Amino acid sequence: MDDSNERKFQKELNGGLVGLVLLAVLAESNEDLYGYEIAKRLAHANDGTSIFKEGTIYPVLRALSAGDLLTSRIVPSYSGPPRRYYRITEQGRSVLAEWKLIWASTRDFVDRFTETETLRIGHSS
Amino acid sequence: MNRSAPRSIDQYLRQLREELAGSDAALIQDALYDAEEYLRAEVAAHPDKSESDVLELIASTYGAPDEVAGAYRDTEVKVKAAMATPRKMPKSAIGRFFGVFLDPRAYTSLFFLLLALPTGIIYFVLTVTGLSLSAGLLVLIIGVPFFLLFMAVCRVVSLAEGGLIEAMTGVRMPRRPVYQGKALSFWARIGEMLKDPRTWTTIAYFILRLPIGILYFLIAVAGLSVSLSLIVLPIIGVLAQAGWFGMSAVDVFSNAQPEWVFKTEFGIPILGLAGVLLLTSLMHLARGIGRLHAMFAKSMLVARAAPRTTEAAGSGAALAAS
Repeated sequence: MDDSNERKFQKELNGGLVGLVLLAVLAESNEDLYGYEIAKRLAHANDGTSIFKEGTIYPVLRALSAGDLLTSRIVPSYSGPPRRYYRITEQGRSVLAEWKLIWASTRDFVDRFTETETLRIGHSS
Repeated sequence: MNRSAPRSIDQYLRQLREELAGSDAALIQDALYDAEEYLRAEVAAHPDKSESDVLELIASTYGAPDEVAGAYRDTEVKVKAAMATPRKMPKSAIGRFFGVFLDPRAYTSLFFLLLALPTGIIYFVLTVTGLSLSAGLLVLIIGVPFFLLFMAVCRVVSLAEGGLIEAMTGVRMPRRPVYQGKALSFWARIGEMLKDPRTWTTIAYFILRLPIGILYFLIAVAGLSVSLSLIVLPIIGVLAQAGWFGMSAVDVFSNAQPEWVFKTEFGIPILGLAGVLLLTSLMHLARGIGRLHAMFAKSMLVARAAPRTTEAAGSGAALAAS
């Protein structure tokens, strides 16, 4: 059981990141993917445990699709309800490129503080 | 957290439905659909494990029902906020009255009123044909499968109608169909369908949509033609004054009645002003009708916390009653 403060922080961080990661996964993929498949890819990439709860990616997929960043089609499935397969649109690719830049600069900015802090602590001790 | 962890897909979906209680019916339908897709795929991916073993781990992968419910609510709020174009709405009463022209929903709602007649005719013909053919063929064996086919078509059309209404009025409608349990026999499925009140409200909606569509179409066409011709009147007057029609304004309006309007200085401009007011009122009316109609459609086409089929039906009903 992890600390609820940690969980809350992780959840707040994830807010915008889920969309970025989903767009990136779909941009990498050569084929259309459905929700469960995407969830499993994320988990596999991170040693079987995704930092996102997989249930949280579905509403984001739908939101991206509503924003025309993804298109989707429905395919019947044997195991359950028909699956919705997603594919990234051209608009999605250009948004992804912008978001990647934003993410890179945000990460560098945050790193500048969090890493100098460890350096300073390292120096002072 | 304080409740027992779900041990079956049906239990999970029931808990998720409970957690989402009070949310938009369309959002609930989508969330349940997504969860069912994931859970059934997960169970199918582990043929060596039982359903309850798979469900035991679900809280750490898919997320517990309360977490997932929270994600849907948050995303919905964020998306709504992000998609809504920020507009500075005029504050004063006059500004608010004429501000309707800045609202894209007013235009799309007006378009929906015009579209309501052709779509209403299609729904009416579809429903009446389907119902009468089903009834007529009932004495033959193909009557029952025909009724099933007819209902399947109705569900698809109701989803399309929902999409149309959402696009035109901005009111959230379901984007996923209700998933019918698979493990039902042919006759059990017919029984479920006949018992499901949504079957009958959907049929009633499609039949009512024709008279409603006629009314909407009348309002839109009458409102538009009267207000637009009133607005154009002073323009014609000015053009005639300038000799555009080869005669004077007096000639153009010489036969127009009543005289006190057409033969005075201010009569015609006042008519134009009345046209502008009428057009603005029509836009308000269209937007209002659009919202009301969306609420009506949602109550008829979207099941609110409908109990699940098969063995969950009993407990689901008990849940709804409690």
